[in-house]
Amino acid sequence: MNREKIIWIKIDAQSYYNLLIKLNDIGVTVYDNKKNKNDILIKTSYSDYKKIKKYLVSYKTEIIGNSGFRKILDIIKKYIFFSVGVILSIILLFLVNNLIFKIEIKSPNKNVQKLVMKELEKNGIKKLTLKKKHSEIEKIVNKILNDNKNTLEWLEIKYSGLVLIVNVTEKTVKEETTNYKNCNIIASTDAKITSLNIYRGVALKEINDYVLKGDIILSGTITHNEEIKNTVCASGEIYGEVWYTVNITVPFKEVKTKYTGKNRYNFNVVINENKFPIFKSRIKNKKEEITNLYKLNDFEINLVKEKEYILDTNYLTEEEAYNKGLKLALEKIKLTLDEEEEILLKKVLKKEVNDSTIYLEIFIVTKENIGILDKVEEVPNVQSNPESVQ
Amino acid sequence: MKNLNFRDSFKSFLYDLENFITIYENHLHVFNYKKLNKLSDKEIIISLEGKKIIITGNNLKIKQMTKQELLINGTIMKVEFNYE
Repeated sequence: MNREKIIWIKIDAQSYYNLLIKLNDIGVTVYDNKKNKNDILIKTSYSDYKKIKKYLVSYKTEIIGNSGFRKILDIIKKYIFFSVGVILSIILLFLVNNLIFKIEIKSPNKNVQKLVMKELEKNGIKKLTLKKKHSEIEKIVNKILNDNKNTLEWLEIKYSGLVLIVNVTEKTVKEETTNYKNCNIIASTDAKITSLNIYRGVALKEINDYVLKGDIILSGTITHNEEIKNTVCASGEIYGEVWYTVNITVPFKEVKTKYTGKNRYNFNVVINENKFPIFKSRIKNKKEEITNLYKLNDFEINLVKEKEYILDTNYLTEEEAYNKGLKLALEKIKLTLDEEEEILLKKVLKKEVNDSTIYLEIFIVTKENIGILDKVEEVPNVQSNPESVQ
Repeated sequence: MKNLNFRDSFKSFLYDLENFITIYENHLHVFNYKKLNKLSDKEIIISLEGKKIIITGNNLKIKQMTKQELLINGTIMKVEFNYE
């Protein structure tokens, strides 16, 4: 079916009725019409428009628009530069959001930088390539760390606008103690020695001896008849009992944050670290989870998830506050301990109950590795002045 | 005479010659008109085969117009048939 092109034309005419009669005389089909002050708009076919142009020569006619799909095409044609501009902007925005323009590896070691760059390229992360998803990045990070166990300690990849930032921590190889010609093992804190494993050096202390901080436990200077025969770097594992006194005050009133489960989403624009929320927030007490949608230099657009919470006040009994204080004190000490170190004893020395708080003084005994390496500075003429070695 | 009627009816059926008008509340539809004789906001005169229709009213306008059909809208007060 041949669909005829339907158009709106503007005819400059004062008399609507005269024009309609004339249009009827020449057999023009009128689908719709509108009368304006100085002109009349007629919806007709393109062939009838030609007929009007041919026979009604005294009228000034002008096509003002198509209808249907042709109208859309007309609009696109009319705003061609704008349309192309919008399309190009969308493409540009997509590229800006999804392309990596620069890779920054934050490590002072150039070899590490080269290594990481090579690994990234091996895993498909290069300049001017599309950004990877978070899950893919995690896999790549794990793969790089696994492949370079001996070189890399920690790796983090994040995007900052067009820049891919790689934070790297190089694995620090412990200094070979054997490189030192003379070193001692000294006490890192006041303690009572509980175990002594000597690999190298001479023990100056025994098990159950009390040592003060800085006391030499293993010496690297081997003497015979007050004469230095040899110097080694002392090595060994020394564990001792270390004592702590922890003072802690626990309030009976405990305020906990409780999430209601009501969440709202908002957007905010950040310009030079100043935040401007797009919508007014209706939640009074809220915690915000921010997801960056777009970032370019100091300009950011974020999606903000606002989680509503209420403050739940709870009053502890004396026993509960006592247990809480004890737990907090032990946790505080545990933070400083390694895997092989442990808490041997805990004892509450003092307990004071006030109106609103409970005060505890807790004595804690731990088993800790108390030996630390202390390098002895070399003196050019060692034999002439043996005392100066230590 | 009967034959002639039948022939005319058949011809009318084949060539769509029969004319009719349909009146709605504010619209008037004319099918198979011959000519639009007069057009104003108060009166419209349309020629049909063997007769004329005179439509009087207020704010009369031609809404749609093709070679065969007319759709008039406005406040229609009176429709007269004038047989020639």
